[in-house]
Amino acid sequence: MVKLGTSVENTWCLGCGNFGILNAFKKAIVELEEKGISQKNILIASGIGCSAKIFDYLNLSGIYSLHGRDLATIEGIQFVNPNLKTITFSGDGNAMGEGLTHLLFAAKRNADVTIIMHNNGVYALTTGQYTPITERGWKGPSTPKGSVEGPFNAISLVLEAGATFVARSYTAKIQHLTDMIVQAIEHKGFSFLEVLQPCVSYNNTYKLYNDIVEELDDILKSIEEAKLYAKNKHKLFIGIFYRTEKPTFCELLYGDHNPVEKRQYRDERINKIKKILNIE
Amino acid sequence: MSLIKGGHNFSVVSTSTRWISSHYMKADLIVNLDKRSYDNHIDHLSEGGVMVYNSDIKGDMDGIGISLTSEAKKYPNPNLMLGVGAIAILGATIGVNKTELNALIKNEYSKGVKENISYANIIYDIVYPIIGGKFQLEGGSKKRPNILGNQAIALGAIAGGLDCYYAYPMTPATSILHYLAAIADDFGLAVIHPENEIAVINMAIGSTFTGARTMVGSSGGGFALMAEGISLGGIIESPVLIILSMRPGPATGVPTYTEQGDLNFALNAGHGEFLRIVASPGTIEEAFFLTAQMLDLVWKFQTPGILLTEKHLSESSMTVDINLNDTIWAEPLLHKDGEYKRYFDTEDGISPLLFPPAKEILKWNSYEHDEFGFTTEDPRWIKRMHDKRNKKFKSLENYLMKKKTVNIFGDKGPIIITYGSTVMSVLEALKYGNIEARVVQPIFLSPLPIWVLEKYKDQEVIVIEQSAIGQFANLLKENTNIQLKKVIKQYNGRPFDPIKLSKKIKDAV
Ligand SMILES: Cc1ncc(C[n+]2csc(CCOP(=O)(O)OP(=O)(O)O)c2C)c(N)n1
Ligand code: SF4
Ligand SMILES: [Mg+2]
Repeated sequence: MVKLGTSVENTWCLGCGNFGILNAFKKAIVELEEKGISQKNILIASGIGCSAKIFDYLNLSGIYSLHGRDLATIEGIQFVNPNLKTITFSGDGNAMGEGLTHLLFAAKRNADVTIIMHNNGVYALTTGQYTPITERGWKGPSTPKGSVEGPFNAISLVLEAGATFVARSYTAKIQHLTDMIVQAIEHKGFSFLEVLQPCVSYNNTYKLYNDIVEELDDILKSIEEAKLYAKNKHKLFIGIFYRTEKPTFCELLYGDHNPVEKRQYRDERINKIKKILNIE
Repeated sequence: MSLIKGGHNFSVVSTSTRWISSHYMKADLIVNLDKRSYDNHIDHLSEGGVMVYNSDIKGDMDGIGISLTSEAKKYPNPNLMLGVGAIAILGATIGVNKTELNALIKNEYSKGVKENISYANIIYDIVYPIIGGKFQLEGGSKKRPNILGNQAIALGAIAGGLDCYYAYPMTPATSILHYLAAIADDFGLAVIHPENEIAVINMAIGSTFTGARTMVGSSGGGFALMAEGISLGGIIESPVLIILSMRPGPATGVPTYTEQGDLNFALNAGHGEFLRIVASPGTIEEAFFLTAQMLDLVWKFQTPGILLTEKHLSESSMTVDINLNDTIWAEPLLHKDGEYKRYFDTEDGISPLLFPPAKEILKWNSYEHDEFGFTTEDPRWIKRMHDKRNKKFKSLENYLMKKKTVNIFGDKGPIIITYGSTVMSVLEALKYGNIEARVVQPIFLSPLPIWVLEKYKDQEVIVIEQSAIGQFANLLKENTNIQLKKVIKQYNGRPFDPIKLSKKIKDAV
């Protein structure tokens, strides 16, 4: 096994929830390796944000993409080589603001990718503006009087769109988080993992979360129940909200074909084109 | 026009046993199905030409009236049959026999073959005694395929190694998507229509990471949405090929007509400084080979490339002579052994590639980065990586200097410089007007082959293009010492008509 860390200087604020995600992810990769998923088959992407910096701190291959476009990028990797295990790290602004269309469509088509959404409730890297899932009234630099928009509920939205694995975890519960990451990556189909991630500089939610986070005993029974639990304001449930088995986008599009591994070479193509054009 | 079944729709066909490169609006035979078509096209009838009209339609019309509608009414879907009637009329006048006509209908129509054949034969029998064989065509010496420009682009890409195509429908590029989707399984391709053009370009870049030869296609509006992705392709050095088929803009513009108004945009698409390879095919044959060559170039130089074309080429069909053995197969430079650095700073700026799954770490990074692909803000790395990428400008020029980058037609007479599908109009105008001239067509627009164009330094030339502000003429002015004597422009959405263009050329020389 190759070491999972890199020598890049870590610039997250001391106490940032992102450290929990980094540590849990490394542990998850080790667990997956033990289960036979080789590190070289694991590909990562990230958007742009504090969350996305994890790309530089992980010694894994992939693409450090644009703000909001990482999901499209990782889908592009997966669609032409469905054997690869593909994960992207997105901030809540990244995934649900700039990148919302890609999120809903990736869920809709059951793309076999995992998105880990670092939910810190702010655009942290751009200094603390409200995000699409921040509660109404957030006083940030772009909404000094308090945001007048109400929030999306991430879990309920992706469930509606068709996600086949939907879970939530918390950065202060490393073992739980590790387990959720492993299961999200193992799941065949679109996995959405929302991670409650306190931002000590702009939205320090440790105390609140420690008070109201509660582990689900079991996977919930239906999408309706899952949505109900996801929207509960008094308790923040963590665990798997919903899981189902459905054919993935690639399976439906081309069965077990792999466009990269089974590409046709020149002569075969030329002969077929000759037939199409009816020429010698 | 953006029409499905309503409004006025028409097709123009020109044919000859010599190579012709443009349609003519002056027609020997016009078949119209309604009064509006008659009024719109009566002026296009050539001297000695024949107008065939639908005698079941009321109105003051001259020519040969055929009861197209009343004959069609004997079948279940009369309105859908009129077009077959037009084909029967055309067949009868150019000397297609009934067996050939029936075979053609069987080939082209998936539904109602029996009814269509029966109807076509009835119309054929009415028309034949009046104008049968009036414009009898000789058969050519060789059977050649007749293909659409977009089909040439699609097949050229496949011949060059295409594995994956992403697109969101937008005229006039849509038929590339349709055609590739229809044949995807035969060639093992991934052909995907995602949520929007932003997804298109970002997915495509993701796919190139795996080694998949990947192409996308759109027109101006969709291409504009891709701009940030093209810039990403520049810094992460993604070999992504973009087909930009131009229609008149700005914005929605005129979707189903032609223009060359996006040249500057293509040359400058995406923020930041990086190499964009831009080339434009002059003919449908060239579109086939150039698409494969562009696929190879983006992979060799690991930067976005744009095949710039127009509605006129994309959606015109033409008889072509293609020797498939001449196509280029896209091959990147691959890493062999030793330590792997994604952005290894080589002499020519090209870093060898590796694809997943690999034991080496492959990091493509949208932030400025060091050789391993880790983010950096170090001033030395910022400069060095700009320099590394920008070495590719020179490397590409050196590479292209050994290749054909400019087509030159003719060796005497005044010089005409033009590009893209306007080349076809110009060549035909010269033939029609019996004008002796040299036509110079840069195939590459970025880099502009100055090393070839230098030959025309200080000479007076005529520039012909389909842009209102003369973008191509300005490109030449900025980059060469060529003297522009006259710029012939057309920007009414229509391609040049060879007859009118030949007059303009004569006036200019
Ligand atoms: C197209 C584009 N728009 C805006 C930005 C600026 N930007 C960088 S990060 C960011 C917000 C990040 O918020 P989030 O995704 O929640 O990540 P966090 O920093 O909170 O982890 C923005 C708006 C950008 N990089 N690209
Ligand atoms: S600003 Fe917030 S999210 Fe960003 S590193 Fe600091 S604590 Fe973490
Ligand atoms: Mg955030």
